Amino acid sequence: MRQFAVLQLSGCAGCEVSLLNAEAWVDRYKLVYMPLVISAYDVPEVDVLLVSGGVRTDEDLYNLRRAARRARQLVAVGTCAISGGVANLGDRDEVRELFLAEAERRHLPRLLPRIRPVDAVVTVDRYLPGCPPTPELFMAVLFTPTDFKVGKTVCRECGRKKRRDMRPTHLIGFEQGEVLPDVCLINQGYLCVGSSTRGGCRALCTRPGHPCVGCRGPSDTFIDKLSSEWFTSIQRVFAAMTDIPAEEIETALRSPQLALFLFQFSDYAGTGRPPRPKEKVL
Amino acid sequence: MPTLIFPLSRIEGHAQVVIEVQGGEVISAHFQAIEFRGFEYFVQGAPAEQMPVIVPRICGVCSTAHHVAAVKTLEDVYGVTPPPLALKIRELLLLGQIIQNQATSLFIFTMPDRLGVASLFQATSSTSPSTGSGCASEQANAEIAMRALQVRKAGTDLITTAGGQFIHPIKAVVGGVTSGIGPEEATAMRTELSEALPIACELFDCYWEMSLAMGERIGTWGDDAPACYITAIADRRPNYYGDVIHVMCPDGVARASFSAHDFRVHLTYQETDYSYAGQTSYEGEVMRANSLARVNMARRMGTPRADEYLTRFHEAFGQPAHAIMLFDLARGIELVYALERAMEILAEPLDHEDTAVPHTPRDGEGYGLVEAPRGPLIHHYRIENGLIVQAEFIIPTVHNALAIERALRVAAERYITAERVDMELEHAVGRVVRAFDPCIACATH
Ligand code: SF4
Ligand code: SF4
Repeated sequence: MRQFAVLQLSGCAGCEVSLLNAEAWVDRYKLVYMPLVISAYDVPEVDVLLVSGGVRTDEDLYNLRRAARRARQLVAVGTCAISGGVANLGDRDEVRELFLAEAERRHLPRLLPRIRPVDAVVTVDRYLPGCPPTPELFMAVLFTPTDFKVGKTVCRECGRKKRRDMRPTHLIGFEQGEVLPDVCLINQGYLCVGSSTRGGCRALCTRPGHPCVGCRGPSDTFIDKLSSEWFTSIQRVFAAMTDIPAEEIETALRSPQLALFLFQFSDYAGTGRPPRPKEKVL
Repeated sequence: MPTLIFPLSRIEGHAQVVIEVQGGEVISAHFQAIEFRGFEYFVQGAPAEQMPVIVPRICGVCSTAHHVAAVKTLEDVYGVTPPPLALKIRELLLLGQIIQNQATSLFIFTMPDRLGVASLFQATSSTSPSTGSGCASEQANAEIAMRALQVRKAGTDLITTAGGQFIHPIKAVVGGVTSGIGPEEATAMRTELSEALPIACELFDCYWEMSLAMGERIGTWGDDAPACYITAIADRRPNYYGDVIHVMCPDGVARASFSAHDFRVHLTYQETDYSYAGQTSYEGEVMRANSLARVNMARRMGTPRADEYLTRFHEAFGQPAHAIMLFDLARGIELVYALERAMEILAEPLDHEDTAVPHTPRDGEGYGLVEAPRGPLIHHYRIENGLIVQAEFIIPTVHNALAIERALRVAAERYITAERVDMELEHAVGRVVRAFDPCIACATH
């Protein structure tokens, strides 16, 4: 039986919880290391190593380097592993200062000055974006089923209808209560970025009425382009469907909640690293 | 003698136990959280309305509790009262969390201790002897694992039904929830829960039996001294939505009730230099949160099967009960209750009226309380110009930190003598910590 391991760096364990929901691997793959569910203290040789969470501490750095050597294939799983995720919110200067002042008082293990994505440290063979990726996506990365089809964008999987007769003039924010069923959230004034976000999640946020925040990152069209192109494309969608001023969209797109996820593949965090090749991204 | 370090597994997050020994005497037993991300810092400056989507990422295990606590905090600031239907759907959301969490803690985190294996996902036996219980030999571990996963999946699916996204829910919004639950979806969910219920009961019966066998084998149920108990739920038909925090004395007498706004009057928070998580105490005393606190204060659960288990529990162990391993059994009672209670709610109409009321955001300060699987969780925000200027997360695992260390010390003293350290200590450390089901991602945030 093929063997796999899960290395959890600094994240929230949501990725692991999602993997546990994909129970069908249990009799087809041997899970040999995953401290969340197994008492084992070292990663053995494995066919696949899933890495979740970002590199936040010197422990993370050490564990990642060591485990990567023993894996035939390494998959970066979830937004944290791919871009640092939610912890990137702490990379604004004023917050970093607060944060470091606090961190220095304490012991073990040492915190790195900033959170780093997994591929800043080791070679990543595949990327599985999502916060977290759904169980279905986990299964797809473990088994590469031939009949696995995903929509190119979240819009394609959403099923809400875009309407010509509803043109909002302002964004109504994220938290405005009840939404109309079946009608595109953009028509209702929500900042939904499903039009350029990678499909595969089955639109599980937009269907019950919450705008897409882009946790799967850009679709193939934008993945190897600069983030500004993704940005522009979202602007274009809003210009076509609404009368909301462009500056309003611009400001909202740069808000922390979206900044968590948006632009995670292209020119991330200003490191100048090349974009991830789309063939490697599920 | 050296310092003993025990890395921990089968708990949420990165932690270890460090025991210092000198000449056979236990000098200290520390529970160290060894991760830190800094949520209280990096949410500063975030638009307040985005908190319900940001804060679930504190922890993928307790995400639902953070999601609801964030919404409640904002509603407190804005002065909004959500409609009854929204409250029902939020209750369902929290029940889903209880099912998922308790099933995981019971069957995936702690069942292996009873079976004497390293994990349910591996058949390899560890050094500790098998329990020899009838349940264990009848079912292969792999089969228990599959059934355990089925039960916890019912919880996850309930979170999805009530909360939209399955790990980091999105449906609770200021003023209510984004949508109700249609009759077809509700029926399908009920069916799934009704299939999970007998499986959960059967696994729990096994678990109970195995726990008795384990208690006999190791000669203790966790013989720590009694403590205060703290929880945010009333005494019957537990509603994890939470309104007031209750504290019970070690002898079972109710001691105090207070709202989230007043937590500072009663709870004292202190940091330590050996852990990224702090510790809270109740008026200087060690307290315990989580399942045992709730079950100790429960007179009735209010659903048939859960009440049978509760009666059995109270009769066997007394009320309040104090042994550490009883946290685990109390979790099973709650698992059964949450399955039954969710089925009741899903039988009611859930899309017949408004799910949200309009609101106007405003600046100010607010508190949000939820009974999370690990105990009372409080969020506290200060908002200026629509942005978060201060955020505090009062975490249940932190309430338990002192109790965990005290129990660890008892275990250490049991197994360490001037001559030797009994190898059973490593297992004991694991059992003690897991009984409290600590969540390190939350505790450090
Ligand atoms: S990507 Fe999302 S779900 Fe995964 S560890 Fe990070 S915050 Fe948690
Ligand atoms: S923009 Fe959002 S709501 Fe509209 S169709 Fe696309 S994903 Fe659905």
